[in-house]
Amino acid sequence: MTEILDADVCVIGAGAGGAVVAAELAEGGARVVVLEQGPSHDADDFSARPPEMLARLYRDGGQTTTLGTPPILLPLGRGVGGTTLVNSGTCFRTPPRVLERWAGEFGLELDEATLAPCFERVERSLSVAEVTPELAGANAAVARRGAERLGWSHGYLRRNARGCVGSGVCVFGCPTSAKQHTGITYIPRATAAGARIVTGADVRELIVTAGEARGARARLAGGGTLEVRAPSVVVACGTIHTPLLLARNRLGAGSGQLGLNLALHPATAGFALMEETVNMARGVPQSFYVDEFADEGVMFEGVAGPPAYAAMSLPLTGERHARAMADYPRLAQFGLMVSDSSRGRVSSLAGRPVIRYSLGEQDVAKFRLGLARLHELFVAAGAREVYLPLPAGVEPRRARVRDLKLMAFHPLGTARADARAAHGVVDGDLALHDVSGVYVADGSVVPSALGVNPQLTIMALATRLAFRLLGRALPRHNDNEEIACPS
Amino acid sequence: MSAVPDSLGGRPDSHGGGLDRFVSAAPQPQRAGMRVLMALARRPRGAALLARAPLAQQAAHAILALGRYDEPSLARALGWDADAVAARGRELRRAEGRP
Repeated sequence: MTEILDADVCVIGAGAGGAVVAAELAEGGARVVVLEQGPSHDADDFSARPPEMLARLYRDGGQTTTLGTPPILLPLGRGVGGTTLVNSGTCFRTPPRVLERWAGEFGLELDEATLAPCFERVERSLSVAEVTPELAGANAAVARRGAERLGWSHGYLRRNARGCVGSGVCVFGCPTSAKQHTGITYIPRATAAGARIVTGADVRELIVTAGEARGARARLAGGGTLEVRAPSVVVACGTIHTPLLLARNRLGAGSGQLGLNLALHPATAGFALMEETVNMARGVPQSFYVDEFADEGVMFEGVAGPPAYAAMSLPLTGERHARAMADYPRLAQFGLMVSDSSRGRVSSLAGRPVIRYSLGEQDVAKFRLGLARLHELFVAAGAREVYLPLPAGVEPRRARVRDLKLMAFHPLGTARADARAAHGVVDGDLALHDVSGVYVADGSVVPSALGVNPQLTIMALATRLAFRLLGRALPRHNDNEEIACPS
Repeated sequence: MSAVPDSLGGRPDSHGGGLDRFVSAAPQPQRAGMRVLMALARRPRGAALLARAPLAQQAAHAILALGRYDEPSLARALGWDADAVAARGRELRRAEGRP
């Protein structure tokens, strides 16, 4: 049996892009239906226990992995909120040098002045503010001490959190709902403005007739089919799944770029045994950055978690692992992320994504630099021992690609924006080049690595798209005005 | 040192079955691979086999460590009380009307 809904806009996905588009459109008076493949999560179920939360909040239990050298773990959020539900909450605007590159290389008219009102609106919506040193905790203090002694550029991160008490489990579901993920900000706004949110809706088909969007069809988790009839469809399934949905529907393939150009911001982290008590999970895990080497493509950001998380990622085995974990209260951890020039691709096998990505030599060199500097940072901070994620006896400067243990959290680029139809999947307004009325609003449109966490960029682009679809300019706000979220 | 397990080959997760759920959530073929690695790591002959393949040994160790250190008594001995963190979250949300 097929249920039919009529709407002005059908939004597929309720993460960083889809939720923002849906709320802004609904508040602008459009009839909106959001189709979300995953469930809606209740913070009462957030147990602060990593294995359980990985299974509950992440696609594939957080074990999505790339094929290539080296294999890279790519955890993706699942459900209302998408990856904003499980990210660290770090908020950076798109760096100006990246926008300049986009203008020159991809013909995108997205300068700082154009995007500033979008960023301001998103930041107000999410209560973005800088972490205080007190809330940042002792893990951040270790990195700060090291950076200050070395004279390296550093600072406290800006985050989308409100009333944070430093529970230490941002990536395992914030138990206080302090992190302002889109599931508790934009989605309630969308609902209050009349949007309908359908969870457990697995969209299989985009309905396009004579080159124009007509809606989407989804299989429902409870059985049956839902058809949303709408003249505009916004695809926001995320960088890995958006190209698969478009390809399944033979859309977006005109440039030959669909599914290609995958950037990941591959990352890794090291540990240090300190003299002082750190208790790394007390405070905001990602609260501090060191950007001294950002121009060389290496960004350091805080990372930390409970013992189970630390035990899983500590690069030791056997008795050494046990000894280090016995000193867990004195362990500090810090991560590094590479602005990658390597590119991968996404395809489908039996309906599941196959993600191919191999790290190029340029990026391996960035990891050599980053790991050496991370060691230096910990030593400068007074570490008794440093545990880098390299095989025993391998020094950072001699690390080979297969020696690296990597994760990645920022997939981008698989439906990249380019003003020229022959080079991009969507144009500068995020509309598909080869069909009318289908738009993309997620990390897949971001045409290059950013070098910083991408959620704010995705949300700002989604805001811009929403107001373009409404045919209106962004409203102006007073500097201190917040955009209220219905409870 | 009393909080430290002599080996990760014992009960991986005695409370709540979180590790089982974690492994079950993995896509194939990782799920099958993880189960094989865990089974090997828990047996002396299997552990000896894994010792010859450092990457596989580290993967097995990481999975078992995730479950082992999630055990509440061990985590509490290291200063982490997940139940208390979750309870504080619930209280704060109710007191302040947070979602």
